[in-house]
Amino acid sequence: MSINLLHRHVLDDHISGFETDPNPNHLSVIRRPVIFSVLAHAGREAEVAEALWNAEDVAPRFCGPSEWLAVSRTVGAETVAGMLSAIAGASVVDQSDGRVLMEIFGPSVRKILSRCVAVDLHPEVFEEGQSAAMLCCHATANVARTGADTFEIIVPRSLAGSVFEELMEMGREHALTRGFAD
Amino acid sequence: MASLITCPHCGTRPKEEFSIRGAAAPKRPSPTAKDEAWHRYVYVRDNPKGRYQEYWHHVAGCRRFLVVERDNLTHEVFGVTDAAEFERAGAAE
Amino acid sequence: MTSYRLGSGGAVNRGQSLNFTFDGRTYKGFEGDTLSSALLANDQMLMARSFKYHRPRGVVTASSAEPNALMTIGLGSRAEPNARATVVELYDGLAAASQNRWPSLRHDFGAVNDLFSPFLGAGFYYKTFMWPGVLWERLYEPLIRRAAGLGKVTMQADPDRYEKSWAHCDLLVIGAGPTGLMAALAAGRAGIRVVLADEGFRLGGSLLSESAAVGGQPAAEFAAEVVEELASLPNVTLMPRTTVFGWYDDMVFGGVERVQKHVASPSPDLPMERLWRIVAKRAILAAGAEERPLVFGGNDKPGVMTAGAARTYLNRYGVAVGGKVAVFTNGGSGYRTAADLLAKGVDVTAIIDARPQSADPVPDGLRVIRNGSVIATNGRHRIEGLIAERSGFEEVIGCDALAMSGGWSPIVHLMCQRGTKPVWSDEKQAFLAPDVGGAFVAAGSAAGHASLGDCLKDGSAKAHAALDSLGRLVGSLETPEVEGEYDPSFAPLWYVPGARDKAFVDFQNDVHVGDLGLAQREGFRHIEHTKRYTTAGMATDQGKLGNVNAAGIVAGMRGVSPAEIGTTTFRPFYTPVSFGALAGTARAEHAAPVRTSPLHGWARKNGATFVESGLWYRSAWFPREGEKTWRESVDREVLNVRANAGLCDISTLGKIEIFGQGAAEFLNRIYSNSFLKLPVGRARYGLMLREDGIVFDDGTVSRLSENHYVMTTTTAYAADVLAHLEFSAQTFWRELDVRFVSATDQWAQMSLAGPKARIIMSRVVQEDISDTAFPFLAVRDVTLRGGLKARLFRISFSGELAYELAVPAGYSEAVADSIMDAGREEGICAYGVEALNVLRIEKGHVTHSELDGRTTPDDVGLGRMMAMQKPDFIGRRLSTRFGLTAADRLQLVGLKPIEADKEIKAGAHLLKDGAKPSMANDQGFVSSACFSPTLGHFIALGMLKSGRERIGERVMVWDGLRGSEVLAEVCPPVFVDPENRKLHL
Ligand SMILES: [Zn+2]
Repeated sequence: MSINLLHRHVLDDHISGFETDPNPNHLSVIRRPVIFSVLAHAGREAEVAEALWNAEDVAPRFCGPSEWLAVSRTVGAETVAGMLSAIAGASVVDQSDGRVLMEIFGPSVRKILSRCVAVDLHPEVFEEGQSAAMLCCHATANVARTGADTFEIIVPRSLAGSVFEELMEMGREHALTRGFAD
Repeated sequence: MASLITCPHCGTRPKEEFSIRGAAAPKRPSPTAKDEAWHRYVYVRDNPKGRYQEYWHHVAGCRRFLVVERDNLTHEVFGVTDAAEFERAGAAE
Repeated sequence: MTSYRLGSGGAVNRGQSLNFTFDGRTYKGFEGDTLSSALLANDQMLMARSFKYHRPRGVVTASSAEPNALMTIGLGSRAEPNARATVVELYDGLAAASQNRWPSLRHDFGAVNDLFSPFLGAGFYYKTFMWPGVLWERLYEPLIRRAAGLGKVTMQADPDRYEKSWAHCDLLVIGAGPTGLMAALAAGRAGIRVVLADEGFRLGGSLLSESAAVGGQPAAEFAAEVVEELASLPNVTLMPRTTVFGWYDDMVFGGVERVQKHVASPSPDLPMERLWRIVAKRAILAAGAEERPLVFGGNDKPGVMTAGAARTYLNRYGVAVGGKVAVFTNGGSGYRTAADLLAKGVDVTAIIDARPQSADPVPDGLRVIRNGSVIATNGRHRIEGLIAERSGFEEVIGCDALAMSGGWSPIVHLMCQRGTKPVWSDEKQAFLAPDVGGAFVAAGSAAGHASLGDCLKDGSAKAHAALDSLGRLVGSLETPEVEGEYDPSFAPLWYVPGARDKAFVDFQNDVHVGDLGLAQREGFRHIEHTKRYTTAGMATDQGKLGNVNAAGIVAGMRGVSPAEIGTTTFRPFYTPVSFGALAGTARAEHAAPVRTSPLHGWARKNGATFVESGLWYRSAWFPREGEKTWRESVDREVLNVRANAGLCDISTLGKIEIFGQGAAEFLNRIYSNSFLKLPVGRARYGLMLREDGIVFDDGTVSRLSENHYVMTTTTAYAADVLAHLEFSAQTFWRELDVRFVSATDQWAQMSLAGPKARIIMSRVVQEDISDTAFPFLAVRDVTLRGGLKARLFRISFSGELAYELAVPAGYSEAVADSIMDAGREEGICAYGVEALNVLRIEKGHVTHSELDGRTTPDDVGLGRMMAMQKPDFIGRRLSTRFGLTAADRLQLVGLKPIEADKEIKAGAHLLKDGAKPSMANDQGFVSSACFSPTLGHFIALGMLKSGRERIGERVMVWDGLRGSEVLAEVCPPVFVDPENRKLHL
């Protein structure tokens, strides 16, 4: 027999039915991003960070002093794995199925997120390109500012449903819409 | 309602992101240390009032153990260091 | 019904009339009214009954300090008790009801309490209902609760949404009166991030009630102009309807925003209230000052209110508080009130001034009784006159309202909420805010400044100081001119002697001067004791109006300064906060986040019943058509796994990826057993101890390559184990190169168990998994048919031939479906954690029911896993202590009932056969029990004193809670396949 490799997104159950056009405030779920944990070994933190920041096609997200997430929406897991495993002093773990990537944007995005995270997201405090691990809707998340009014949120798969529902709830006042990116 | 700890790696965060693991001063004795040393390390804590060093694990952030030096009466925070730095400094003394 | 609404004036929108009801009767008010201003406009002065004596009460203030006018607002599930009518914003259709009266507000049977009031003094309940104790619960408390009380809470679920939000700013300004507006303006213009919060629905504070002119225009218009400018600044956030109720550690302030309390039909897309946590670098308390009532006989009569309240109803709402108003004062506020009333055409009968003289300007033709006092009031449901006294002469003065002023108390609560007491000022005759460090300061009348001009100036000045300390100072101080301001200074007057009726200090709790005296005489002299004994300063208003008077009166009784008496402790919340706001979204099924397994959908599809396990939802059993009880399903699942095969979702186990050259040594120190020589491609069961030698968690470690391991933990301890690893690596053994990260969510993991497991699994994976190629405890990367990469472990918890297959989470449902298809002919079934539990009890495997934080490895028969030849591992040093090696420790045993149909329950105690059932004879307990469908009777695991030596002995299983005694035989803990033949099939 051969297994029919149907891949299910955990939010398939949460996003169903008729999709309307996105409003100005929109939550977009990326269906198949590539996400790797990158761990720098003792004393190799600086060189791993540098290699990661210079790597093409992946966006590094800061988790801790020797840990990052490498995120790609453009290239496949094998390519990313190959690229990352070439970084000396690093160990990598594919988390693409273990993390859910959402992008939230729009004029009210900071207002919505102020109901979800305790961190000050003022652009002078949390600048474009910055990322950090933080509690978001009671789950451990990695939040990155990818644009003036655009944030990327990465959460564990098992909590994604809960976080998604809460984000949508907090966005009701601002007519937040949602959908898969593709 | 809230109190805030400034993580040296992540910035200012609410206490909900941390989990406290108790006094940072006691050092794990060597395996061959005397019974008394092990007894003290495992069971005896001073529980002082006032200035105090304790481990705070930044569970929802960088996942590093931090040593927060604060007044446990007023919650005035005097400093937050990465636990590894703290141990290194302690070992160097 | 007389209308007390003036023909013009005020900040109400006379073009927008609103209907509302009070105790079922319909009234009209205007947009911009509060409930109390609208009721006053409609001649409804009687608004409540008092707490203890059921005395008729009217409104005393126009502020959030209101002690009397508490009402239930809204109907059905939206009914909210104890709302202060003074801060309830009127909306069309508002339904208000009075409280604590029966059958009606005008005719209240409870008022007999007032007749018996000589017996109901302070400490009455303590003295009367002390004995016999048994009556307290059954009789006294229900009786007292029925007689004395506030509003009743609805028993229906709250239909509205609530949420929480964070705000961050450079400067938080609390209060948008003259001081706050000027502070926010100065800071806002300088470009820093400002939050301006005010409990009112219209920003402006006392400026809205002020008859003076500011900056050449009416004060209210000046306020509106400032608000408009602030609203235009992108760096300023205006937060009306937001009470900052608490000051917490690290300059975090708590606030509650009433988002839709004033809306007739709330929008489902908005919360009813929003709880704010405001993080501020600097904060200015511009909360203003509270006008003190005067404590004189009959001062609680409806129609007696503070002079400032009378001015607010007049100037802000265009409502006269009476047709003939008398004024009783010890300072300038009374004169200003009289002047304002006269200017609007309201009759003022007299000013009774407690002082012998004053420089306050007397309106033309108005009579002033200097050195006078009020000793009694007439009327029942509304004041009809008062008895004034001067130099021993009494005089009745007609009035239908009495404006009183006893001076001003700065509102300093927030600054005293973190343990610092307010400081008495002899000069200001008031308690002032303490110095709490430069980041949080009081300004304006909250800082003891009296006049409007001083407040405006102080607001700007304090903002400049904040800007300076932040290094953001620009521009110079600008303060608008004030024309026609009055001097609000006063002479202290704590108590007016000669009272003919009770002189109330605390209106809400019905505490009068006599109660305070009784408390002193009976020894409850410390102000905190006085508070508890008399109840002064308790309940919803927390003594906002009465506490300072109480301190002054007690000081007078004792002949000391109020400084020596001090105040009671100020605690959050400044005003009551609803549970809804505190809960936010965390209610019902959203009380905690839900964690779902990648196989949740698969389990649901297969009809699973779920059980909560921490945040996780796990599949407990999979009922089939015709099965009536959970036991029937579980028995079938167990038997099927033993006979054929079953598939179980074990994705919730913690999975930690471990890397590094130091990983082997690290694991060797973390576990009690040896890990240095674990070969690549092999898994090993491991025990982690705590440093005190007690088992912490168990699990497996598989070596995937030389320096790469994957650890599994129990579901419950996944987070604790990761933290334990991190702590050990970051603090104990920093020299070891080891890194880890949780991959729990990446992998779906399923256990395929049963004698037919291999034949089914071999249809799914491409590799050879024969016993030779893939023996017990082997681990490898595999490729599934169809090409998916996965990990396969030959590990068994059930005691059967079993595999654990880990696949990337997104594919898990497809893979599980395929395994079910592949095993259909073999009779595969899905099984849940209940069956898994039965399987492991039958096999004698321990879980946290046995590893309960008290057991050593030896206690549970795993003493061989203590690799004492290792120089160090966590728990090694203390594991050899006498107490942990004693021969009479509780040890793991199996138990089976002597009579096969008897049930053994977990939690029951074990006694020697024949021993009297008592804890003195306790020999251990049942840790896990189940019906074993394999054996056809109940079985159990238990912890029994010296248990291993007692195999074959009979013990009594005594369940004292559920009242059962079952005789059982002690047996080895492994009931099924003790030779482990099935594992090596
Ligand atoms: Zn951190």
